[in-house]
Order: sequence, then C-alpha cells, then structure tokens
Amino acid sequence: MIVGDLKPLDEIAESVLQFRKVLIVACGGCVTVCLSGGTSNADALARELSHPRHYKCRPPIFNTTSIQRQCERDFVKAYLNFPPDTEAILSLACGAGVQTVAECFETLPVIPALNTSFLGSLDEPGIWREKCQGCGSCVLTYTGGICPITRCAKHLLNGPCGGSSQGKCEVSKDIDCAWQLIIDRLKTLGRLDDYEKLFPIKDWSFDRGGGPRSLGVSKTGE
Amino acid sequence: MSYFVVNEKCNGCLACVESCPANALSWKDNGKKRILLHNMARCARCANCWRICPQHAIEFQHLLENKWDEVVSLDLLHCKICGEPLYTADLEKTLSEKTGRELDPFCPRHRESNFAARQALFISKKIEVKEVR
Repeated sequence: MIVGDLKPLDEIAESVLQFRKVLIVACGGCVTVCLSGGTSNADALARELSHPRHYKCRPPIFNTTSIQRQCERDFVKAYLNFPPDTEAILSLACGAGVQTVAECFETLPVIPALNTSFLGSLDEPGIWREKCQGCGSCVLTYTGGICPITRCAKHLLNGPCGGSSQGKCEVSKDIDCAWQLIIDRLKTLGRLDDYEKLFPIKDWSFDRGGGPRSLGVSKTGE
Repeated sequence: MSYFVVNEKCNGCLACVESCPANALSWKDNGKKRILLHNMARCARCANCWRICPQHAIEFQHLLENKWDEVVSLDLLHCKICGEPLYTADLEKTLSEKTGRELDPFCPRHRESNFAARQALFISKKIEVKEVR
C-alpha cells in the first residue's frame, strides 16, 4: 500500500493560517490502513490544529469529511461535498489524491497534510517497510521475491557490493543486505542457480526517468 | 447479513473502537446493555480491530470470505433455439428503444445460422420470382 506520514504540525499550521475556514479531507484508502490519513486522524488533526498555540492570530475553523478514495477524479467530483465558505482543503491523502482533488476544485487551494513516504507492507503491527519502488519492470521472479531495486541502497542487480557484512548493509546496521536476503531465499527455494545468471542492464525508461507514467486498460496480450 | 462478526469472547472493553482509524466502530449504552456498532461503509478492512482485540473476539474472516448478496432480480431472455441465457428483458427493452428495432433473442451461434437461413430464404424467393417472370 501507499504509506504516508503526517507532516510536522508547525508546517501544516503555517500552510493554513491565512485561511478562515479549512476542510480536512480524510481518505478511506491506503492512508487509513496505515493509520495516517483516516477519519480518526482527520478528527484528531482538526482538534490539534484548532489550538491557538499554533498561531499568532485567530486559528482557522476546521471541518472534517472523508471520501473513500481521493485518487479517482470522477468519484471525487461526484461525492466530495464541503461546507459553504470553505477557503482551503487540507488533504490527508497521498500525493496522487492531493493532486486529484486539486484538479477537481481548481479555485480552491489544496494543501497536503501528509508526506507520501513509500510503497510498503505492514511487517508487524504499526511497522510499515518499503518494498517496492514502482520501477515499471519487476525482477522479483528472479530474486526470490525480494526486490533489490528497493531494498538495496545501491539498487544493485547482480549481487551484493563490498559493503555487505554479516548480512547487513553498510548504510546502517539496522538494514538487512538485500542480496544476502535474496541468496538465503534462493537457497531455501533450491534455486541458487538463478543467482549465477547475469541481469542485463536494466531499462530505466519504465521508471521515473521516462517521465510521468500512465497506464490504460487493455486486453491481456495486446 | 453482518460481515463484521464479534463472538461471545467480547467483554466490551472498546479497544477496537479506540483503535479504528476509519471511525467505523462505535457503541451505545442502551438501558442495561452496551451495544457495539459497526459501519460497513466506513470500514477500511485494515484489520486493526482484529489485531488489537485482547479477547480475540473479532472474527475477521467474514469480511474476507463473505457471501454474495442478491441485490436485484430481473427477468432473463433465452436463445429461441438452444435456450442459452442471453440478457435481461429490461436490457432488451432499453436496446430496442435506442436502436428503434426489436431484438431477436438468439445466441451468437444461432444468430449467424438464423441470419444465414433468412438470407437463403430471401435468395430462394428471388429465384422463384425470376422463374415466374
């Protein structure tokens, strides 16, 4: 899922202080599940931001609402309603949701309340870890289901670098060496031969280097 | 049918209500009873309630393996020849109104054979007319 993290309160307060009436919009998708942008987060944020200690002048009035997904334009247009006199929207969605809402309501400033962090999984209750960078050409088939693009700091495709020591990455003792994990997993799967195969140079045009990506629905195989 | 099932182990501690990020759980005290409420439209199915429940009272599998609800029941038209179910009478009506002609309920296979039979009949009639002349 897309994992988001609440911005520092001072930064959010600074971005809304010029408005009198602000609508905080929760998103019922990924950010609800990662406990950063759901309805309860919106309510808590409204309570906190209403406190005068964040402002030198009068605090804005905050209302809250929620929509199931902020990243679908027609859905947002049809179902995101807000009180009259709303001067700005404070979105608790990921970056895609914030931009979609902004496109739907051109005359209203739409402000992000979250930093969109990464594509990750819930490894243990309350702990999300990055697992995918959306590089556009997945290599997990050959790496035992462990992504070296995401989990190796150098994005290496053909084995570990010299900084791998006792299964840990030189970047931090808390980070597992992705290639150590891959080798261990390939051993378990009895597919260590895959480790000997050389990856060709990766085509990064499917990644962000090729500009903003889009995807249209097509029939399989076409 | 309720998809959010809480078993008899629940002791009403409300840990699930406190932990729900979507505010999909609530409660009301009704006379001598405390009633736990769940709102399916709000539920993000994050399973936080299931994780946090100290009593293991939340049976989340019903949210993952729920049954199909019958939401509407409409009259169905079948192929005139083989009886294969085709489309609803209401869809037929809508399409007829839009296209301005009545639809013959035939499956793709029999539509072709029906069309070929009609063409053959049309050609044979033409030949008959020519012969008469």
